Amino acid sequence: MLRLLRRQRALLNCAPISQDRLADRSMRAAVSRADDSDEFVNQQSFDRAVAALVRLIPIPPETAEWFSEKDLVVGSKWTWKKMARNPAVLAISIAVMVIAGVSVFQVLSRLNDFPGAATARKLLTVAASTRPVMLDPVSTEAGTLSDLFFMKHGLEHYDVPTEFADFRTIGCRVFEDEESRRIAQIWLAEKRMQLFLFPAERNAKTGAVLPFPGWRYIHQEGWVGAVSEHSGVCFMAALRGPEKDLEPYLSKATGK
Amino acid sequence: MLGDSSKAQEVFHTTLREAANRAAQGELPKERFWLFRDALWRCLEADKADLQPEALKLDEHDVAPQGASQIEQLEPTQLAVWISGAPDPQRTALALFYLDEFDYNEILDLAELKLSELSRFLAQGRRQLQAWLDAKHPEQGTV
Repeated sequence: MLRLLRRQRALLNCAPISQDRLADRSMRAAVSRADDSDEFVNQQSFDRAVAALVRLIPIPPETAEWFSEKDLVVGSKWTWKKMARNPAVLAISIAVMVIAGVSVFQVLSRLNDFPGAATARKLLTVAASTRPVMLDPVSTEAGTLSDLFFMKHGLEHYDVPTEFADFRTIGCRVFEDEESRRIAQIWLAEKRMQLFLFPAERNAKTGAVLPFPGWRYIHQEGWVGAVSEHSGVCFMAALRGPEKDLEPYLSKATGK
Repeated sequence: MLGDSSKAQEVFHTTLREAANRAAQGELPKERFWLFRDALWRCLEADKADLQPEALKLDEHDVAPQGASQIEQLEPTQLAVWISGAPDPQRTALALFYLDEFDYNEILDLAELKLSELSRFLAQGRRQLQAWLDAKHPEQGTV
């Protein structure tokens, strides 16, 4: 108890002159207990008077200069050029440009997307890895294979469009993809072109076919495909090379 | 601390020059009050060569209600000289406390004192200052 009182007495002797220095909890408690005593009130007013006089003690002019409000070091002027050369700004700018570039590329590549584009892309990969021995050898006109697909495999509307119907075939096959959709693949003698027929994409809720008009181009790993939809079945003509290699076949059809 | 403006100025400039040198060499200490401690040490060093106050037993009076008004009659330099005449470490304690820039924990850290010591130096300083004020203005004094 005596020790506690002694500590409180010691704290009161060190009680701050300004109230904003009452940060310490034990000091606050000691001050609040002694707040009403005459002795403490005298001490506080005495201390305040001394502190006020201390503030008036003159500072030599040469030393006072150090505390002037003027900037001791003039900061260099801010310019766009300087900011652009800052490594951090440079790195952030490059990163933002790369991200923007990738985003624009993705937006542009998805801009021409159509229902079934994802399947068409996968089939372009299949086309790139297919070898002639994997197909049943069939030498006929592509247009006649519609009957074969219907009679042998029960595939309705797997019709080769008229643009490609007259080309000679090397082989064909029907296989299932990973989603158990049945895909017809035809290999043509013409420019080693491959034709694919696969079910068109449907609305997940209603089951209705998602149609799209005309021909749509698609690209994957150096291959190009031209896709159209008819009666719930998509047709894709694919070959290795640029889009312009496929264009003549399609414009010929439009010409007809 | 020094009671002499030219000495104080020299200490101030030396402290800042040394700090600038250390900053240029990237050797600034991480300790919070190193600059104040450095300045304090330089003040004590500068004062060593001077005449030291005699170890007198000064009169002491309890702080009086009229103490504040007695102080107001003092010249600032008179107070500066009175504080600088106190023996160290009491002088350090009084100077840091009445600067009103630090709380008591910071003063303990800076002056490397214990709470009981700081308390004793401040209480004794008040009583001695009151006695000096009473001697200076006897008509207002308590004795």
